[in-house]
Amino acid sequence: MNHQIALIILAVLAPFTGSFAQTPKPHADLKLIKKAALRIDQHIASFYRNKNLAVPKVADDAIFLRRAFLVSVGRIPTAEEALAFLEIEDPAKRETLVDYLLKSQGYSSHMSNWTFDLLRLTDNRTGSPAGNAPYRHWVRTAMRNNMPWNEFTRRLVASSGDGWDPNTAAVGYYTRDRGMPLDNLSNTMRVFLGTRMECAQCHDDPYGTTERHDFYQLAAFTHGQTTVGQHHMESLWQELRDGDRSQSDEYRVAQVLWDRVYGMSLSGGGTGRIPLPSDYQYRDATPGEVVGARTPFGQTVRMSEKRVESDGRVKLAEWITSKTRDQFPAVIANRMWKRVMGRGVYEPVDEFIPVEKTTYPDLVSYLGTLMVELDYDLRAFQHVLLLTRTFQFGANPNPSSIEGGDDFHGRKIERLSSEQIWDSLITLAAGDPDKQPARPLDSRIYVGNKPVLVGKKDMAQLSKEVLALKSENELRSYFSKFVKEVRSSDSGSESRGSMMAMTSDRPYNKDAKVRASELPSPAPRDHLLYLFGASDREVVDAFSREPNVGQVLSLMNGFVQRELVNKPSAHLYKSLEGATTDKEKIRRLYIAVLNRLPSGEEMSWMLDEVQKQGDAGYRNIVSALVMSSEFLFLQ
Amino acid sequence: MNPFPKADELTRRQFVSNAARAYLGVHLFPMLGGTLASAAPATAAKGGTAKSVIYLYMSGGMSHLDTFDPKPKNKSVMGKTEAIPTKVDGVMLGNHLPKTAEVMDNVCVINSMNSTQGAHEQGAYTMHTSYALRGTIAHPSLGAWVVKQGGRIHPELPGFVAIDSSPEHVGGGFFGAKYSAALIGSPDEGLQDSKRPDAVSPEDFDRRLSLADRMNSQFHNRYPNADVKAYEELYREAIALMKSKDLSAFDLSRESAATRGLYGSGRFAQGCLLARRLVENGVRFVEVQLGGWDTHVDNFTAVAGRCKEFDQAYAALITDLAKSGKLKDTLVVVATEFGRSPEIKAEHKDGRDHHPQAFSCLLAGGGIKGGVKHGLTDSSGGKVKEGLVSVQDFNATIAYALALPYDNIVMSPTKRPFKIADKGVPVASLFG
Repeated sequence: MNHQIALIILAVLAPFTGSFAQTPKPHADLKLIKKAALRIDQHIASFYRNKNLAVPKVADDAIFLRRAFLVSVGRIPTAEEALAFLEIEDPAKRETLVDYLLKSQGYSSHMSNWTFDLLRLTDNRTGSPAGNAPYRHWVRTAMRNNMPWNEFTRRLVASSGDGWDPNTAAVGYYTRDRGMPLDNLSNTMRVFLGTRMECAQCHDDPYGTTERHDFYQLAAFTHGQTTVGQHHMESLWQELRDGDRSQSDEYRVAQVLWDRVYGMSLSGGGTGRIPLPSDYQYRDATPGEVVGARTPFGQTVRMSEKRVESDGRVKLAEWITSKTRDQFPAVIANRMWKRVMGRGVYEPVDEFIPVEKTTYPDLVSYLGTLMVELDYDLRAFQHVLLLTRTFQFGANPNPSSIEGGDDFHGRKIERLSSEQIWDSLITLAAGDPDKQPARPLDSRIYVGNKPVLVGKKDMAQLSKEVLALKSENELRSYFSKFVKEVRSSDSGSESRGSMMAMTSDRPYNKDAKVRASELPSPAPRDHLLYLFGASDREVVDAFSREPNVGQVLSLMNGFVQRELVNKPSAHLYKSLEGATTDKEKIRRLYIAVLNRLPSGEEMSWMLDEVQKQGDAGYRNIVSALVMSSEFLFLQ
Repeated sequence: MNPFPKADELTRRQFVSNAARAYLGVHLFPMLGGTLASAAPATAAKGGTAKSVIYLYMSGGMSHLDTFDPKPKNKSVMGKTEAIPTKVDGVMLGNHLPKTAEVMDNVCVINSMNSTQGAHEQGAYTMHTSYALRGTIAHPSLGAWVVKQGGRIHPELPGFVAIDSSPEHVGGGFFGAKYSAALIGSPDEGLQDSKRPDAVSPEDFDRRLSLADRMNSQFHNRYPNADVKAYEELYREAIALMKSKDLSAFDLSRESAATRGLYGSGRFAQGCLLARRLVENGVRFVEVQLGGWDTHVDNFTAVAGRCKEFDQAYAALITDLAKSGKLKDTLVVVATEFGRSPEIKAEHKDGRDHHPQAFSCLLAGGGIKGGVKHGLTDSSGGKVKEGLVSVQDFNATIAYALALPYDNIVMSPTKRPFKIADKGVPVASLFG
């Protein structure tokens, strides 16, 4: 056994040596990160001193292990990972583990779920053939590359251009909400600045200070969103849509251009002016009156109502990320705090509270400063939090004693998110899911439901060519050539090469045992992810952790039983190989499922089970462990 | 004065009975269901005759002008939609609802709905809970209120079932998990995973539960937490459900091909049929959602598509319930978060925007007078002119139809008072 463990430890530690060889960015320097973690702990300690409270105890290794995995990579450790950590004797092993986790593939998968919920990122758009695939891919890649949050925000909010070009695919941020630019803007304010303005879309906010007039002035920055050159196709599209031609090949090919090329592009960079709505009800202006752009707080940025400009979105992005004083860094810092610590320093995290009005002004102010010091590197910021003693506090079953925020009395017991449950279950069913390739971008050209020109031309190239067309004539001649191209490739049989390309391009279907971040979004209604409360991604953060009877049925009779408990080839049973005694087998099952050793009492229950039921006894044990609250809850 | 709401008393009795059944395998109160149903309305002197609710939720904001509040004289707000006559003189519908037109003699149209919430999240939340969305408290959904105040009818089947709904709108809120809806993802498959897997013997199944139970009580002792406890209780409930002989309520294949055909083949249609089966079998509140009403872009094509899903299913549901005599026990609600603007946006391929100032909802059955129109909007459908019904009034009317005490105060765990419909007042004139 010892020899085996040593090997496993090596395997776990291997990635570190490689990663440290690169020159770290100044803020990724571990010394700085540890110093920052200490500062945070000092703030928390002074809070305990002031309140004359006992500091909570630090959680044991097993709880820390599971918590660190679930919080940073969104799944439980594999049996190998758990053993390596638990059996190694090294005072610095918690730090080492955190480093290992943040450098693994799992980190960006877990961050992507969080971002998809925040941005309401679905694969398709209801009622439109235009999709979000390249936009999703852009966001997923940004998370993998740990794009700094201010840059990420700026590129979304200021986006413009070709929806399929990997450099500008962030336009999906706006085209996703085509037809509802005002809702889109409300969400921008909520997501990035923690300012709720949705009430002011229709009327002055009776609780806040925002007036409907302010909202429209802000909306002026993003007004005038349109497509890149779609008007060149307008008359061709009308011709094909009318009458019996709507069943023709031409029509189906035209649909690709109309909806999936033009429909996914974005131009009109923000005019800076907007007419007030026809039902504008206040005395300070009249319906239809054009107002110029003006920001509601922070450093004022204005645009004139007299000129039509094209850089409103760029100005808005600059304002959000650098002219709102401490608001922009404070909001993302609190969101990250919630992600790591379980609760925001203040809640809800999407309602910004000025530093001096929070319960812990010193801490809140420091977190915002730290975010800026770290250049909005979210991984580095989370690294700091994960290294604090505060993160390691033992679990506390009581709700926070402070309404709307954390009381820092230990980790609040909380059910795992739907994605954490799924990702943990597939770890047991199929092994480390981070060895599976991420979902590829399907950039094939679909005519009807059929991919065409596979291996010859993809959406990115098509989109680039079409958006470069300068007139209706150019468009018409390109279109007829393209229709011929599609027809001629269609008549020939699919070549071997293109068949292979197809398989590797294909996104995972809903039954794939891969990370939730790689599955179709939103989760289909009959999926375990839906049952456990995954967001439908129509509104911001619409996930739920509410228990319901279906979840319990699913654990007792559904996916868990089919793919895990009753399936001899499930990965978790591999951990039994080589174990000779019943006790050893039970120990290994505990390590695999709950990542800890059984207590003496538990061991006697489980031994009894195996002695009475034989092999079925092991399945019963696995079933009981997965059905247990300990599995479903984060301690 | 008893500070505790009466409903709590019922719940405790029910809990005792459930627990007895779970541990002793016996029915202490064989007539419990019936007792509960008739005991509940004690404080409400008057009301409708409904025992159950089928709540059809049109998610996204259903265009009232193109469906239940057409303005045939004002072409400028109608776009491509035309008005058609119905079985009832003076009630006109949009032309994509021909089958619904045939059952309007059973239906009350409320044209004077008004909401203060113009965004989806807030609008749908208020519609479902009667309260504004707050970051600090989760309000129970209407279905949870109805089960809390009226009790369950069937002791084993869930009191509240939601088909195709968004989980965050059908939660138990501060009432806790046992009042959350049981979610149905696909009506054809019924209640997912409600049968013991073939690979597991009954003995092993029981052993698993007993092991898990030991694990759970150990965990719960270490962390006495409400959410943890909720899962423990759900196991008991789930097992009672699995053993119930009425589990077949969830099985659509037991309906004849003719009945299934009457409703249509769409997902929503099958959801409506399932809702009828569930209500027949003693489920108190069933929500079925039909999404896709957010018709900012190309409103007329989209509305036609949505109506196609809705029309046959709704007409079939009303016809079916009326024929079996269940319509007087069943309140059928059609609700949505808001309507859509009279203004047609040419730049969005003739789209319509959100419009909370005026919209339409429907009520039928449960003592509601059919063939009635309540309230009036102006000539463009933009504002309510007569008989304004707020979201809270609408929900109070639902409570009234069930003869539930709509003004009964229930304290949240944070010691704040809440009511099923907040300050809403029922529109009593809708009842016959």
